[in-house]
Amino acid sequence: MKSFNKTMFYPLWNLLRSVKLTILLLIILAASSIIGTVIPQRGQGAMEFARELSPEAFRLLSNLGLFDMYHALWFRLILISLVLNLIVCSIDRFPSSWRLFKTSPDPDRKAPFKDIPPEQSFIVNSNEVKDTDIVKSLIKARFRKFQDIKRDGDYVISAEKGRYSYFGVYLVHLSVLAILLGGMTGSFLGFEAYVNILEGTQVDTVTLKKERSPLKLGFKVGCEKFHVDFYENGAPKEYRAELRFITGKNEIEDRIVKVNHPVKFGGVTFYQASYGKVPSGNVMLSILNSESREEILQINTEMTKTNSLPLKEGTFQVVDIRTDFMHTGPAALISITPDKGVKTKFWIFHSPEKMKEALPSPMLLSKRFNASAFAPYTFVLKSVESRYYTGLQANKDPGVPVVWAGCVIMLAGFFITYFTSHRRIWVSVKRDDNGTLIRVAGRSNKNPVGLGREITQFTTNLKENLDAKEHRQ
Amino acid sequence: MTSSAVLSYITFIYFGAFVAYLIMLVMGRELPGRIATMVSYCGLTAHSLAIGLRWIESYRMGIGHAPFSNLYESLIFFAWTILFLYLLVEWRTKNKTLGAFVLPMAFLSIAYASFSPNISSQIQPLIPALKSNWLISHVITCFFGYAAFGLSFALSVIYFLKKSFRPKAQNIFLRLIPDTDILDELNYQIVVIGFLMLTLGIITGSVWAHTAWGSYWSWDPKETWSLITWLVYASVLHTRLVRGWTGKKIAILCIIGFSCVLFTYFGVNYLAGLHSYAT
Repeated sequence: MKSFNKTMFYPLWNLLRSVKLTILLLIILAASSIIGTVIPQRGQGAMEFARELSPEAFRLLSNLGLFDMYHALWFRLILISLVLNLIVCSIDRFPSSWRLFKTSPDPDRKAPFKDIPPEQSFIVNSNEVKDTDIVKSLIKARFRKFQDIKRDGDYVISAEKGRYSYFGVYLVHLSVLAILLGGMTGSFLGFEAYVNILEGTQVDTVTLKKERSPLKLGFKVGCEKFHVDFYENGAPKEYRAELRFITGKNEIEDRIVKVNHPVKFGGVTFYQASYGKVPSGNVMLSILNSESREEILQINTEMTKTNSLPLKEGTFQVVDIRTDFMHTGPAALISITPDKGVKTKFWIFHSPEKMKEALPSPMLLSKRFNASAFAPYTFVLKSVESRYYTGLQANKDPGVPVVWAGCVIMLAGFFITYFTSHRRIWVSVKRDDNGTLIRVAGRSNKNPVGLGREITQFTTNLKENLDAKEHRQ
Repeated sequence: MTSSAVLSYITFIYFGAFVAYLIMLVMGRELPGRIATMVSYCGLTAHSLAIGLRWIESYRMGIGHAPFSNLYESLIFFAWTILFLYLLVEWRTKNKTLGAFVLPMAFLSIAYASFSPNISSQIQPLIPALKSNWLISHVITCFFGYAAFGLSFALSVIYFLKKSFRPKAQNIFLRLIPDTDILDELNYQIVVIGFLMLTLGIITGSVWAHTAWGSYWSWDPKETWSLITWLVYASVLHTRLVRGWTGKKIAILCIIGFSCVLFTYFGVNYLAGLHSYAT
């Protein structure tokens, strides 16, 4: 079994534990990510982009999954390789970190003091016992795992801190796994959907974005009212929808959803994403005499309702309403059914002047755009009543807490990796003919500059304390 | 005087500081260096006050918000973070040679904001998507990250300068510049700070995106480019800590990293995406 492991898995293991592979994968991941920022992904932009390509180019990009590359198999394979590499590297290195963490503190009394800078040793004229007490209390204030050895008149005190700093890097690696796991959880167990709700109506289904299929919510959502406010300069200030949730047991809960203030109900989070206006079906029309321009009739009617013409020579209906026809404002399609003769259909506009500018002139000559197409009347569109709808995004993502946990772990891991270190300190107190020789030495697994600063601070502090005691005597 | 007028004058203060740092390098004298530092501190103080003034102005207009909401304000803040971080490093290392390379970034950024005809310095009201408490923490962390990477870029450039003229150790222009080993170590420490800040910036951005757009990560070009930048600096840290890379290789990676930062900041505006209000 062991030999099998060696022959089959050793080369693979060897490959996966190499940091060269890590760096290669990081660079491949970075470089390939660029593609998706240049080629529009999914959605409207991607469609427009694709239309301009030659069929061959389109087929090539499409087969490579470049219109949705971050979800394509090859991109996921890079991520999976990176994950494997990260796991194997961590497993491979963990035992040595563990050994470093577990080794008992070094009782060595000589080696640390070799080559210490001169400012880290000094002589004080005082009583040795009291000096060691001061040294001990100062060390205890900064370090842990206090140890002392006394031999041949040389009293060595050692202490240390920050052994956990060996594990910071594993926390960072763990956090990357947690974030990716959270992302996977979301894509398998969650959904992204959207729904438009007209003011005064309710829905119980949303549309899944990716699958474009309906999804039953298990409760109803209604939009009571939608508001949009603007600043003086015309920029949007706030979009706000008053929502009403109705459960299966007919319990009602009213909530307000705004941009940046989503609403959670029944495990689904609703985001204010878009809005729009649709005709309510009511329009105000006026019928003029084409020659005298006198108003014969003003009428408030609904879509598809049959109305009599002024002289009862037939009927007319509004068969289509637009709130914004080719960016020129409201429009309505009138259909006239006279008792004698043929049916006539034509569009009338709220602002015919704008329409004349927008439409190419041949079209304007067409009967379909002539408000006076049915003599002797001219139809005028006074107003179109409209209602707002709110466009909501409805998401469920059980992976989010995992991702946030990953982020917190990552920050903790960074902090431990870069701002803590395993520092050890040795202080020797040695009785001499001239007085007491004090020597301070330190070691650290990283950040030598930081260690130097701490040792200098400690030494200064120690000197001050010993001097102060001397003066008191 | 309005804050934007004050800010356009600060361009000249920083230019003055740059000239003084340069004179110090060329002449190898201490006095111009001291003047440069003093001018920089004055500039940073005025700069801070002007940002504060702009904040107050927005409240007077009834559309109060932190001055971090469009390209103009971000460029101004970028210059501020560069100066702040640089002066911190100068104070910690007691070396002024970096100034001549860092100050240009600050004054170019603030000059571009103040004098480009394409950039409006007007205080605009916040659109609904930007009305969030996350705006401040997201912008501050990201820009401290960018500034740290800017400093790392300057250090990498100096590294190459120093390295290429090494045989002529007496070259007066390079005499005050610290040894390449020190530059390399300082560069690494600054990259660590930048990496931490960029990570925080991406995390705060994700939390915000989660409440605003309903998704903590949408592969929007700006998000993706920030990830690319993050991956490049992650490689810097791995090559250094595990593979023991130093010096030239690290300096090259840091220059690549900073070009990614610049693309994340400016280049992405030419690609369609959700971050379009920062243009």
